[in-house]
Parts: sequence; structure tokens; C-alpha cells
Amino acid sequence: METFILYLVGVIASTATYYLNTTLNQGAVRSSALLTLVVAGFLHFFPKSVSPYLAQYIPPIFIGASFIGMVSKNQLSTYFGLALAGIIFTTILLNTSKFFTGYGGALGTSACIALLVVLSIPYFKSPRKMTVGFLQLRKTILKKPRKVSKRRVDLFK
Amino acid sequence: MQARQKFRTISICLLFVIQALFLVAIFVENTHSYIVLAFIGLLSLLILYSYLRSPIHHHKHEYESIKIAVWVPIGAIASYYFNQIFGLGPVLGAALTGTLASFIPNINKNSAYLPHLPAAIYCGAFVGMSNAQVAHGFSFILAASIFTAIFLIVSKSLLNGVGGKLGTLAFLGVSLTYLLLYLFK
Repeated sequence: METFILYLVGVIASTATYYLNTTLNQGAVRSSALLTLVVAGFLHFFPKSVSPYLAQYIPPIFIGASFIGMVSKNQLSTYFGLALAGIIFTTILLNTSKFFTGYGGALGTSACIALLVVLSIPYFKSPRKMTVGFLQLRKTILKKPRKVSKRRVDLFK
Repeated sequence: MQARQKFRTISICLLFVIQALFLVAIFVENTHSYIVLAFIGLLSLLILYSYLRSPIHHHKHEYESIKIAVWVPIGAIASYYFNQIFGLGPVLGAALTGTLASFIPNINKNSAYLPHLPAAIYCGAFVGMSNAQVAHGFSFILAASIFTAIFLIVSKSLLNGVGGKLGTLAFLGVSLTYLLLYLFK
């Protein structure tokens, strides 16, 4: 259950930061830093509000996943892609190497890896970055089947 | 022009190598779990594909202004101060530094210079997140942040708009400083 909560934190942090950054136009730095300040500040002053395991892991997962939300909408523009990157980031962090523990920038590196993995999948790329071939393929996949008009059905009869 | 191209190639290689090393360290420490090994192997292949095929870098190589990069050490010192001296911890220290930095452009909204500072300061803040066992004091943080500032200057056209770029640069700066200290101490 606690691991599920951590994955949820990763998804919420990446999507909420992106929303604040792109829809509310607060800028990438303020979106990431302000949201993290609220979450990490709350857990710093009220550490007993959650279990010690969650109190230890929520702040680093939140700030790391918020780096994913700093992505430009020219690179990634789907919330599903952001959520997937958040899940990949949380998985990396939960299995991270002890060798690099305490190195500044390790969370950013994990976030960058998670985002590059998602960007390697053409489906998640922003339409502006796609080739014409992939755009056509995506259009074909996403196209809803048209309703056959009654008149046309009658003609077929 | 050729020197710029060389810098670009070296910078891309450095960014990829540091991320690959990060994944290799996880791989080495999780040899008992085949699922984690398969996951890390898959991630490595996908980021290699992204570096080779995805349009994440600008074609034209440019350098960041030194006037902007000088704010990296300031962010690093501020974050380290909040983290170690005030005892707020690395996450809260960096978040506080970033939040304060994000309001700098409000000082003069017509300035073309101020809007670039929050990113440089936040990049420095990640260096200041290092713990006391890695960073042995302000001199380490200063050295690591100067290396990070240099990487920020040469990587302006790389990983454009990709979240985590600033953190990767900070990680590169901290790792390089730690390696140099280990070799020459």
C-alpha cells in the first residue's frame, strides 16, 4: 500500500507541476519549487502525519517527479506521458544505487532518464516534434469510427 | 565552427555517459532481481534511442552567457546553507532556494536578463542538495557549482525543454568534483 502511495505521489507531482507550468503559466522553476516547498514543508513540520517510511520517501519523490513536469510542451504534451514518466521515475528511485546516495543532482538525473524513455516512444511526442509518418499513424489510431448514416445504409440494402 | 561541433559532441557524450553510469550502478547492485535487471536494460536502450533519434537537441550549437552561469554557485551556496546549516534538509533547502529565485524576474518585468536567473539558481540548488558525506564543506560546493556552471554554458542547445536537464548537469558537476578529489587527495 505504501509503495502504491509513493507511485501516486510521483504521478501527482509530475502532472501537477506541468499543469502549473503550462496552463497557469507560472514558469518551470516556480511550479516545481513552490509545490515541493508546500509538500516537503508540511512533512518537515508534521513528520508524524504519515508513517516514517512515507515521510522519508515522499519529499525526494515529489521534487524528483516535479522535475519531469518542468518539461516544455513542445517536447511532451500529454498527461498520460507525464504520468508514465512519473511511474518510471519512482521505480528508478525505489531501486536506486547506494553508491550515488547523497550526490546532488541524482534526482534530476533519474527524472531526465524517465523523461527520455517516454520521449523515445513516438506516441508521446508532442505533435510539433513528430514526423509526418508518425502523425498520420497517430491520426489513424485515434480516429473515431464514423457513424454510418441511415441514408447510406438504405442504399446498401 | 569545428570547435563548437566538437564541444557539442563531447557534451552530448558526457550527458549520456553520466546517465548510463547511473543506470549501471543500479544494475550492478540489483543482480539478484531479474525484473530490475530487465527494467534497467530496457531503460538504457530507450535512452540511447532518444539520444540518437529524438529531436531533443538544437541543431545549432550555442553557449549560455557567463553572466547567467555565475548565479549557479550562488544558488548552490544558498541551498547548501539551508540544507546543512539551517537543518532544513536537501529537498526543502532546494525548494526554498528555487521558490525565492522564481520571484527574481518580478523585480523588473521589463528586464531581458532577470528571467534567465531562476533556472541557473535552481540548477545550483541541486548541487547544494549533496549531503555532508559527499560534500565536505563550502569549498566542495563552490568547486562543484563552478563545474556545473561550465556545463550549463556549453549545454545551452542540448536537452532543450527536457525536465531533469539541470539536475543532470548538477550531478555531472558533483561527480566530477568528487572524482578529482578522490584522485588528487
